[in-house]
Amino acid sequence: MSRSNHRPESSEPSWGKRSDLDVLNRDIPRVDGPVKATGQAVYTHDVRLPNMLWARLLIHPVPRAEIESIGLEAASEMPGVVHIEALKEPGDAVRYMGDDAVLAVVAAETPDQAADALRAIEVKAKRLAPVVTPEQALEEGAPVVSRRRNADSNVGRANERGDEALADAALAGAVAVVERSFEIPVQHHVCLETHGHVIQPAPDDEPVTVYASTQSVGGTPRGLARTLGRDASRIRVLTPHMGGGFGSKFGPGLEGALAARIANATGRPVHLMLTRSDEFAIAGNRSGSRQTLKVGAGSDGRLVGLKLQADKLGGVSGGSLPGPPYIYTVEDEAAVSSKIRSVHTATDGSRAMRAPGHPQASFAMEAAMDELAYLLGMDLVEMRIRNLESEVHHRQLRRVAEEIGWGEHPHRDRPGSAENGRAVGIGFGVSVWGPGGRSSRCDVTVRPDGSVVSATATQDLGTGARTYVAAIVAEELGLTVGMVEARIGDSDLPPSVTSGGSVTTGSSAPAIKDAAHKARESLEVLLEDVLEAPVGSYVWKDGQVSVRGDASRSLPWIAVCALLREPLVAQGEFREFLHEGRIHGAQAAKVEVDTLTGRVKVLKMVTCQDQGLPLNRLALRSQINGGMIQALSYGLLEQRVFDEQDGFLLSDNLDLYKIAGAQEIPEMVALIDDEDERPSVCGMAEAPVIPGHSAIAGAIHNACGARLTRMPFTADNVLETLYGKI
Amino acid sequence: MSRRSFLRGATQVAAAGSMIGSSAADEMAASEAAGASEVEALRGASELEISVNGKLRTVEVEPRTTLLQALRTHMEPPLTGTKEVCGMGSCGACTVLIDGQPAYSCLTLAATCAGRPITTVEGFGSPDAMSDVQQAFCDKDGMMCGFCTPGFVVATHAALERAPEADLDELKYQLSGNLCRCGTYPHVFEAAQAVQEDRARGGEGR
Repeated sequence: MSRSNHRPESSEPSWGKRSDLDVLNRDIPRVDGPVKATGQAVYTHDVRLPNMLWARLLIHPVPRAEIESIGLEAASEMPGVVHIEALKEPGDAVRYMGDDAVLAVVAAETPDQAADALRAIEVKAKRLAPVVTPEQALEEGAPVVSRRRNADSNVGRANERGDEALADAALAGAVAVVERSFEIPVQHHVCLETHGHVIQPAPDDEPVTVYASTQSVGGTPRGLARTLGRDASRIRVLTPHMGGGFGSKFGPGLEGALAARIANATGRPVHLMLTRSDEFAIAGNRSGSRQTLKVGAGSDGRLVGLKLQADKLGGVSGGSLPGPPYIYTVEDEAAVSSKIRSVHTATDGSRAMRAPGHPQASFAMEAAMDELAYLLGMDLVEMRIRNLESEVHHRQLRRVAEEIGWGEHPHRDRPGSAENGRAVGIGFGVSVWGPGGRSSRCDVTVRPDGSVVSATATQDLGTGARTYVAAIVAEELGLTVGMVEARIGDSDLPPSVTSGGSVTTGSSAPAIKDAAHKARESLEVLLEDVLEAPVGSYVWKDGQVSVRGDASRSLPWIAVCALLREPLVAQGEFREFLHEGRIHGAQAAKVEVDTLTGRVKVLKMVTCQDQGLPLNRLALRSQINGGMIQALSYGLLEQRVFDEQDGFLLSDNLDLYKIAGAQEIPEMVALIDDEDERPSVCGMAEAPVIPGHSAIAGAIHNACGARLTRMPFTADNVLETLYGKI
Repeated sequence: MSRRSFLRGATQVAAAGSMIGSSAADEMAASEAAGASEVEALRGASELEISVNGKLRTVEVEPRTTLLQALRTHMEPPLTGTKEVCGMGSCGACTVLIDGQPAYSCLTLAATCAGRPITTVEGFGSPDAMSDVQQAFCDKDGMMCGFCTPGFVVATHAALERAPEADLDELKYQLSGNLCRCGTYPHVFEAAQAVQEDRARGGEGR
């Protein structure tokens, strides 16, 4: 193969004028749609290898215990059991519900045999006080469950910013002041494909193959190297398709390490996917929080002071919450103070989840904006615009307000009230995200037969990444998307980023563009002798190349490729100027509250979102809808529940942990902010999940005067807020 | 009839391998008549013939084996298009048609499926020859990660069979047995409506 003979003096790649685009900035059906819609897409769950073992974990039912014994004898004699091991010794402690509560692992010839053997393991343990709520964690003399070294309480290090006295003084001078306490429960990712791996061992001179449901094909080899006892370069990770991650699938985790260990010990392929209840117990979550927020504004609506006290509830992890004021601006920075601390419970550590910490911060801050507006008799949209620096937010808020019918809404500066038990309200929220981009590579191969491959070790979590891996190349070379094969989900391909924090597009798309541009220029070098025009003076369009300004001098794509004597490989890398760092969004929600039953029905949600150049408008609308729906689900339904007395996780299935279904879905409008004309690309998936539940809470307040400070917004919560505790 | 005797009946008959085409009631009556020891009948694996996507498949199952397990892990080669997500009838990822009716295969014992034609997502089309519903899911982007998609495709086929002229509210009701985490619902509804329009214009409605 020849490496691209790319000339250093060549022109830089560019996304081009939007009006010139033939493929990008349009609706592109995803290239893996047909395999997904017909059940042919193979996920890690679906991998079946000859002689494969099925592994299962035994998880202790409560978070804290002292192990007296783990009897494996009966289980090891069960039919089909090939490998069984205890992960705890007598006298060991189970310190929290999470990976520390995994007591044993079994691998057997069939899934049923593994499950049977699990039931035959005899565990004797002394259950200890659960410590599953912040109250239990903060009690005098509470057992210390924090994992911090030398911790003597369950309170983590506090992050204190600003001077409380200065904030108090500023608040004392405010015309309107609101102070509220908020309670936000722990949310689960609920990836429909659970965490796990299928690991195929290999002799020392061959690579081990790992099928992983991961957001990081590139990082997983390193994560498994030590357990597998070999260099990461001799571990190949494959993620052809994966069933959702949302921030929870960055490393192999204990389940990956155990699968590797069993594969090593038995020399057989091992399938170890978490069960749904395992997933709820040990596969992470979005941290909860308790916040007391006090905000003051002047008569012009401008914020003048702010004070926040917050506990992050991330179980044995720290949890996340950005510092205040969230997105909105307090002119005098000295008038802002905050104390944010972690309160640890003996529960599974929080992980990154789609915009970690941001939805929690949004909930409190947007509530304050609503209440201050009402105190001042100010329009909710106007109040927000006065406190947002970015013009982008201003235009986006006006756009969503128009789309949701704000101008005709009867009560825009005060809450409404119910008529015949029915009240309708509208609420708003804004988002920001700064995904940026980082080092990523891509190879574009053009073969003499006209076939094109675009290859990079990214992964498609459902975002549509695989589709733009092909589409960007198609745009550059004047081809259709179907003429370019996208290869992703394989750690042997040119390295790309871990998909977290919306960095994938901003990192990988510039590298793909760069590779495609180099391939194009290399082909133009060959064309100099044929069409007799210099590099840079060709138009690639509709499967043809022609000399700019002289359509009579042209060649079809297949004839261009026939000029190649061997495949051309163009190597692209991340180019700073092709990506964008910062994005904005605004949302509006319209709800109907039944003030007799407390039921909230969301009628409509609207988002306006920017992201530089939209690569694929169809996938973009899917992502925006998805963000709104996850926020709606978070606001109306989701809540992890532990039994406080004994510590059982009660919400460990999809009957008791509710997520939004078809009947909860309102009219949804996903607006792509086309006034954003930045000539660059950016990931955007985090942003639309940030403000939706806040906008719904604002709409409930706007409808009937009930300011919900606790999530989720269940009927009893609404009734209690309206009428007091019964 | 108790669940226990029902199980016994179904497996016994399945084991006899002669029940394709007869009703479940007949199967159970036949097994009661056989009068085998209940303990024996409840143990171990037996061969079952089931009709999946128009093909008769022999699969070794236990009384407890669900249709979902039979499809995904007991058949050779397995059919893994049908997904397991909740395992308890909450999410619909495992939806298949049994006798033309949508059913959660995770709540259906394989042994009860003898003689009842089963259609899985693979039975509706292939990437090169998709059903109208599958094509519409691609056109409208009625999928993201795609793990719920097979269940939604089957449920949408069933919904449009049951309620071909369903309005949006009715479609939401018909599809309310399936959950998606990525939030594809609006595009799933659009896909279903596109199929309705196409069929109304005389599309073949595969």
